[in-house]
Amino acid sequence: MNIRIRYFASLKERLGRHEETREVPGGTSPRALLREVLESAGAGDYAPPVVFAVNLAYVSGEESLSDGDEVAFLPPVSGG
Amino acid sequence: MIHITDQPLSFEQARQAVSDPAHGAIVLMEGRTRDHNGGRRVVRLEYELYPEMVTVELQRIHSEILTAHAVGKMAFLVRSGAVPVGEPSVIVAAGAAHRAPAFAACRQAIDDLKRRAPIWKREVFEDGQEWVGQQEGTP
Repeated sequence: MNIRIRYFASLKERLGRHEETREVPGGTSPRALLREVLESAGAGDYAPPVVFAVNLAYVSGEESLSDGDEVAFLPPVSGG
Repeated sequence: MIHITDQPLSFEQARQAVSDPAHGAIVLMEGRTRDHNGGRRVVRLEYELYPEMVTVELQRIHSEILTAHAVGKMAFLVRSGAVPVGEPSVIVAAGAAHRAPAFAACRQAIDDLKRRAPIWKREVFEDGQEWVGQQEGTP
């Protein structure tokens, strides 16, 4: 399934990109997707504190993604 | 009103957005770039947003506040990009018939925005810059 991924702040800098789309197997969770992204970027031992959002809502990260979902990996927020 | 921009924020715009003949009280809070943090001099702050989700999350916060407090109108103004010392990065406003709910709603609005809105702040000091981590500021 096709997933759009958004990166921000420190994680965006670490990976060198702010977004991408990936083909992932059905049943992939946001947490598993993050692990895969970090591994393929050669940053498998980087364990940033991140919360997950799918389609503009916070989620636990254990859910199964659906085709066309937008996942965001959010470092700790500090705005306002 | 939920307004996201990279331009300077207008206190007057926030005030107008929550004004109403039925409102006896308007409470506004302006969050500004402070010239110091952790003993270092701050030159400016830079804000990065996930804009689509900021809008949706502020809509959620807005609904929750309207349910929890006797408030008529809320405004959230958020600035992205560079914000120099002394300029606002956020303005929240509440208009209500009475001041107690206006104060409570405004307080909850800024606290919830800081806790939940996907916004990241980078501090630019004279001698470097860094992303602010977990919110450790003094409320």
